[in-house]
Amino acid sequence: MDAFYASVEQRDFPAFRNKPLCVGGSRERGVVAAASYEARQYGIKSAMPSAHAFRLCPQVIFVAPRFEVYKKVSEQIRQIFFQYTDLVEPLSLDEAYLDVTEDKQQIKSATIIAQKIKAHIKQTTGLTASAGVSYNKFLAKIASAYEKPDGLKVILPEEAAHFLEQLPIEDFYGIGKVTAHKMHLMDIRLGKDLKQQSLSFLQKHFGKAGLFFYEMVRGSDNRAVTPNRIRKSIGTEKTFSSDLQDLKTIHEKLNELSVELTERISHLQDSGTTLTLKIKFENFTQVTRSTTASLPFLQTPVIYQTAQYLLQSVVIEDRRIRLLGLTISNLMPKKVQTTGSQLTIDFD
Amino acid sequence: MKFVVSSKALLQQLSAISGVIASNPVVPILENFLCEVKQGKLTITASDLQTSVITELSVDAKESGSIAVPAKILIETLRNLPEQPVTFTIDQASYNIEINSENGHYRLSGENATDFPKIPVVEEGHSVEVPADVLASAVSNTIFATSTDELRPAMTGVFLNLNGSNGTFVATDGHRLIRYRRTDVASGAKASIIVPRKSLNLLKATLPSDNTPVTMQFNASNIFFKFNNFRIICRLIDERYPDYENVIPKDNSNHMVINRLDFLSSLKRIAIYANKTTHQVRLKINGTQLHISAEDLDYSNEANENLICDHEGQDIEIGFNARFLIEMLNNMESDEVVFQFSAPNRAGLIVPKEKNDNEEVLMLVMPVMLNNYV
Repeated sequence: MDAFYASVEQRDFPAFRNKPLCVGGSRERGVVAAASYEARQYGIKSAMPSAHAFRLCPQVIFVAPRFEVYKKVSEQIRQIFFQYTDLVEPLSLDEAYLDVTEDKQQIKSATIIAQKIKAHIKQTTGLTASAGVSYNKFLAKIASAYEKPDGLKVILPEEAAHFLEQLPIEDFYGIGKVTAHKMHLMDIRLGKDLKQQSLSFLQKHFGKAGLFFYEMVRGSDNRAVTPNRIRKSIGTEKTFSSDLQDLKTIHEKLNELSVELTERISHLQDSGTTLTLKIKFENFTQVTRSTTASLPFLQTPVIYQTAQYLLQSVVIEDRRIRLLGLTISNLMPKKVQTTGSQLTIDFD
Repeated sequence: MKFVVSSKALLQQLSAISGVIASNPVVPILENFLCEVKQGKLTITASDLQTSVITELSVDAKESGSIAVPAKILIETLRNLPEQPVTFTIDQASYNIEINSENGHYRLSGENATDFPKIPVVEEGHSVEVPADVLASAVSNTIFATSTDELRPAMTGVFLNLNGSNGTFVATDGHRLIRYRRTDVASGAKASIIVPRKSLNLLKATLPSDNTPVTMQFNASNIFFKFNNFRIICRLIDERYPDYENVIPKDNSNHMVINRLDFLSSLKRIAIYANKTTHQVRLKINGTQLHISAEDLDYSNEANENLICDHEGQDIEIGFNARFLIEMLNNMESDEVVFQFSAPNRAGLIVPKEKNDNEEVLMLVMPVMLNNYV
């Protein structure tokens, strides 16, 4: 979907139309969750601090997100996808991979399917979407971003090599600001520059990602479209309106996070045995600490107690805390044993 | 500073104490041995802050001095040298260390000895003398049942209680509990402390196997073991130990006497077929017959064996973690053991049939609930 949250707001509130609009927190520490195309003209991007957005465009309108509405729209578009194929892999609320090798309506052409889906979305939700069509996930993803908004880009197998060679490296999926900068320093600017590098060179400078880049620039990506992406963790985190310093408050916040996490687990079939505490300090440095228990975490007191224990192992000194997060991973069904359960000595 | 020492003698001492050195210590200097030479005696210290080990050996030296030497390099070097006298030359200004052997010269840089953390001394407090073999058996009889759960620090150590007439060592992880009592370990005073598992593992590894006297001296915060040329000092766990006496059942209606080794080897075979998470084995007693079985529904594995036992009480069926039983039976010496229990959801006790002099062992284990004990 194009500028998803912002477009939904402009659809529902005509007053916002054709105006620079941001969805997100407007207060001092807020960040932009989505920016309308009008706002993007000022250089505003998502994930940018709101204060920065105001500086770029003082007349920008900020609205708080309405996730309930976005979720509803998301569900609508997913229903549309399912009319064409069952192989739908959602990436987020407003993005998904569709494998249409065998489409339900016997249309056979992926391009026509994309056109139909776009029209269907427009008709149902009043919003525009962009589609990318190609022979693997990575190329389809790049193609979808190529002609936003309301775009439809097809990369045919015989075009892929040329397309990738001409593509600026910062447009490659998985190459962010830092990697792009690093590549620019090595005089790698376009896909063709990247293609000239040997695998060992890339692995030396980019580690594990080196192989990924090497294959990507050759248009090779054999990942399947997996409809049920398996959940790997359950977590919650909170950025505070003012940085925390006092230990008592930190413990209170940990307790709140433990309650929130318990709430999330209660809706799921699974829980996990590993608890990870994440702390981001005022200077944005981040530490994580984990511990693994023998049984899945289920109750607030246990989670809270374990979180406190993890907190003890972090040297905080006089640093203020900007963000705290708790995540449970190593997921397994809540009821582990099919046979018996080990009894515990009752010391109390 | 310069000293000459036998490579083998030095390696022997270093290997004995190097176990205390943590792989990634909080303070980098703890990756070193502290070496101090004074009046022809080399004192070596290794520490992880919680536990410190000190050993001494005679060397050929004219001067005194001290230096912190990187432990890994030193041990590796000595391990790969044939037995011979080696010369250490230390420049105390630059902390450079030069090792000279018949094979060649090796140079490495040490650190300032004064940066090495001060090792606490146990002043005042209680003192008990215990033969090394008695202490070793107290440690090995209990340590396997300690917990690794750092959320319950008290259970990660062995509890030692001196009540004037005997010494009791206790370990539990919440599922099983060992009470090992010695009537020949006694001090005039009453005291109780919790010694961390890691320190005891280290102690166990360095204790001689004979009856060399070991002096144990402790106060509220540290314990100090001294024997031969070794000294071990460790910080005690400052927690309240769970009230273990209350959880030991006193009225067990079922008493089963069985040959320990027969029972043990049967359990080892049956355990192979047990569920990989619970390690549950089922004990079913019918008159004088003990039926041991296990099944793993996930793999359709199943095993059954029958043993003869002496049994007093009603027929009963009860489940246990096979690993716990195996560990416990392995740590007993008696030819026959008495297994006591009362219900499938109540603690079971294992005690030796024949007691050793001065020794009283009791092992408690909680059952694994059977889904259908009909």
